Amino acid sequence: MKKGIIGTLPPVNRLRYKKGDLIIKQGDYGISLYKIISGKVKVYLEDGDRQIPLAVLGPGEILGEVTFLKIGIEPRSASARVLEDAEVEIWHPALLAKEYEQMPTILKYVADQLIKRLVRTNKLMVSLTSQLPGKKEDQQAPEPRTSRRMYYRKKLNLPCYYRPVGAPEKVRLSGTIKNISLTGLGMMVSSRNAINFTHDPGAHFHINAMLEGNREINVTGKVVSLRKARAPGLLFLGISFVGLSEDSRKTLGFFMMP
Amino acid sequence: MAIDRVIYSYVVNEEAYQDQDEIIAEGAKGNWAYLILEGKVKVKKKTAKGIVTIDTLKEGAIFGEMGLFAKGEAMRTASVVADGPVRVGLLDTHRIIKEYEALSPQMRALMRSVIKRLREATNKVTAMVVDLTSPNAADSNER
Repeated sequence: MKKGIIGTLPPVNRLRYKKGDLIIKQGDYGISLYKIISGKVKVYLEDGDRQIPLAVLGPGEILGEVTFLKIGIEPRSASARVLEDAEVEIWHPALLAKEYEQMPTILKYVADQLIKRLVRTNKLMVSLTSQLPGKKEDQQAPEPRTSRRMYYRKKLNLPCYYRPVGAPEKVRLSGTIKNISLTGLGMMVSSRNAINFTHDPGAHFHINAMLEGNREINVTGKVVSLRKARAPGLLFLGISFVGLSEDSRKTLGFFMMP
Repeated sequence: MAIDRVIYSYVVNEEAYQDQDEIIAEGAKGNWAYLILEGKVKVKKKTAKGIVTIDTLKEGAIFGEMGLFAKGEAMRTASVVADGPVRVGLLDTHRIIKEYEALSPQMRALMRSVIKRLREATNKVTAMVVDLTSPNAADSNER
């Protein structure tokens, strides 16, 4: 089984970041995992105007594991910003999520406890920081947002159609794509859509949308997160692509260019 | 909290401790882990200014697991002390490690990363508690 998963891991994507770039923003949704190949990345908590440094990570270290191990049900718990020009490898979250699900109960239990303790310890750090006399580095004003995340996650408001994998072709549910990247998308749908078809994490959908210039994309994705949208009667789905045709990848690639 | 049967099936031996007994000693070598079956424990770290309690764990919690996936002999990074009478189950280290080793390199890296991150966060929190309890900090930080 394990060999199978590794065997099907797609070629990893690599991204280059410049000093000051934001890789992960606290509060965002996303379960991508990053491995640092070169450079340095600072992980910190945002508490109002304060920044509380958690760690400086270098080559070989992993970023984004907390949200991943909570399977994307909660937003990013910390931000990550590049300290020295960095190259990172992006791991396929969907396949690792599958391995996680199939993992022996004891290992999941241990991972779950570790994460809980880490989150608890980080919270304790926030409350202790507010009691400590200020250190400059801890309480600097937030840096201007020089995020390049837009390069690979674009915000939009695009109507789309989708149907559960396995449902008859005539099934056509509608939604609105709110953001999209080469690895997944965020979609807002009416909660009524979830009455007849499951939208829970793990559900698979075929999604069809028309980008500017009548360029069509067809993707298959898996729900990795589900939450109520701010507006009543709406759900927000985090979807990770599991099937992306070469054409759709190209179309998306062009679309994603800055 | 009821303990999951599958988790309990990893218990190879049960041990009972009295209040204040040290179950794990910081700095000692060892990679086995325990499951709390009944009672509470406190996680403590030695600092220049005395011993600091960094966490309290109760029934259902696992401790000692940070050494499980270490390469070679692991050094205990904190002490675990009984908080009242406590009953713990020693977990089957070999079985857990075997299952861990069957994971993909990515998943293993992920687990190790969380442990490393937790260790760093614990060290930071410990240092902060020491700062807060030092006389200088107390003066400038009246409550």
